[in-house]
Amino acid sequence: MTPFIDAIDRDAVTELVNIAIGRAAASLSELVEDELRLSVPVIEFLTPRQAAERLEHETHGGETVAVRQNFSGRMTGHMLLIFPEKRSLDLVRSMLGDHVPLDQLTELEQEAFLEVGNIILNACLGSLANQLGLALESSLPAYVRGRGAQILDGGVSADDELVLFLQVDFSLLRKDIHGYLAFVMDIVSARHFIEAVRDYVASKLAG
Amino acid sequence: MIGKTVLLVDDSRVARMMARAVIERHHPGWTVHEAGTGEDAVAIATSSHPDFILVDVNMPGMGGLAAAARLRELHPKAAVSMLTANIQEPVQHQAEHLGVGFITKPIREDALLAFLTVGDAG
Repeated sequence: MTPFIDAIDRDAVTELVNIAIGRAAASLSELVEDELRLSVPVIEFLTPRQAAERLEHETHGGETVAVRQNFSGRMTGHMLLIFPEKRSLDLVRSMLGDHVPLDQLTELEQEAFLEVGNIILNACLGSLANQLGLALESSLPAYVRGRGAQILDGGVSADDELVLFLQVDFSLLRKDIHGYLAFVMDIVSARHFIEAVRDYVASKLAG
Repeated sequence: MIGKTVLLVDDSRVARMMARAVIERHHPGWTVHEAGTGEDAVAIATSSHPDFILVDVNMPGMGGLAAAARLRELHPKAAVSMLTANIQEPVQHQAEHLGVGFITKPIREDALLAFLTVGDAG
């Protein structure tokens, strides 16, 4: 369901998000020294319940760990970096392997994952904000563990209100780790986001 | 360079560990202080004399930019740079306005070493 965006808007959002995710992917690739494969961003308007169901489906109903960061400004919402729980330690090991003794890795897992999320989410948000000429405040990252609904909880509004759900899947090629990056905005913020995208496209077309 | 002192300010212990690892690998004789908040950094800086200061932007409490401004007042001769994942242009402009460098995360060894050699953070 797409209440107010047309094909051009969708294309523009996809392109902007692709660039932003590309920046985030480059950061993650540097951190874990592996190549990332990215999906085309999926842009949908969903109810919070549908968004949670989508996330549960994508993660095969398993436990996940996520880093959630809220953003505010002309648009307000939150973004999530999500990994299957059973692979999160592999990710952290990829990142810290040379720096930290093995027996400390588990102890540091949560903090390391928070820092991964901080870097990835800010790379993505910063790129989007820079492209659109927006100044967005971002909260400190929070560590979340659970299934789809629990991961998304805290930030979305009433259950009958639509949210803009932007999702990109990525995989680390050599390590066979899959993850998801999602943006969730309420409908008012989504309108502001689309307006900013239209302004951006118009400015580019006007030269 | 021998006996330099670096102050790392970041609420992420892991981020501090990664920066410290690079410094200790390339400058084993240097002293590295760590602070998890801007307030702690200011407290440490009043009783030490850092030559290089690296400050995260998004931190609880006073925040990295305010901390950098205060640390710059305390140690005007120290080389100061933000070290942050927050790549937004307004943040870069604020750093520029403060007269401090801007290094982006994830930390790149060459960028950090360049800063520690000449205080050049772009």
